[in-house]
Amino acid sequence: MADDKVMIIMTSGPDTPRRCATPFFFASLAAAMEYEVVMFFTIDGTLLLKKGMAETVVPKAGGKPVSDFIQDAIDAGVTFLACTASTELHDLQPSDLIDGVKMVGGASMWQIAEDCKTVLTF
Amino acid sequence: MATVNGCNLPEDLYYLVEKHVWAKPLGGGLVRVGITSVAAKLSGGKLAALTVKAKNIGQEVKQSKSIATVESSKFVGPVPAPISGILLRANDKLVSDPNIAIADPYGEGWVAEIQASDWDGEVGLLVTGAAGVAAYQAKLVAENISCS
Repeated sequence: MADDKVMIIMTSGPDTPRRCATPFFFASLAAAMEYEVVMFFTIDGTLLLKKGMAETVVPKAGGKPVSDFIQDAIDAGVTFLACTASTELHDLQPSDLIDGVKMVGGASMWQIAEDCKTVLTF
Repeated sequence: MATVNGCNLPEDLYYLVEKHVWAKPLGGGLVRVGITSVAAKLSGGKLAALTVKAKNIGQEVKQSKSIATVESSKFVGPVPAPISGILLRANDKLVSDPNIAIADPYGEGWVAEIQASDWDGEVGLLVTGAAGVAAYQAKLVAENISCS
């Protein structure tokens, strides 16, 4: 049983690569501290979940792509939720997203936020 | 002192092999715990931080549950407790220099001390002595892990 629940709301996307690694790193870290961690993707954040996209986003020249940070977070047990409306914004179908992402509406975000001890937005 | 696959694994410690942590009974149920040289290697060899969760100090921690985290530029992960008990104190030296846990993981780089609540009941999940080091070696070979 997790000690506490926390949520990271991810709005940054491929246009701002340097904003795209730390949120996943913080999520993995929180999971390592025994928090139950949810990442909620909306606005441009959802684009990072498009199959093949995160492999092309590199925060630091010569460094790891965002896909590696995403995989670390998945391996650590972080739950990924994508905002349904944001997929419509980018003309994405649920099948366009990487495996393991659950689609939810904005109301779910509010309900999860209410349950969480801490909510961070990037 | 035993070295397997380049990893230093003293025979007098008790290992939770799956989690790459060690335990050393200090007497009276007090147990010092830390990360193994294998964990040091897997974390990338240079730490940015090793942080014991302050909220856990003075509280009961469960075997295999995270008591601390290690952070490097390429890795972030938990330091699980090798045994259950009250987390009495953290090694304050790691705050200013987390890399002591890499350079001297079984000495100055210990992570925390725990007042064990069920050492006799849980020690069966740990390995020690020559047989313990051999069991650890089997895992290193199976997973192709080398410290050298």
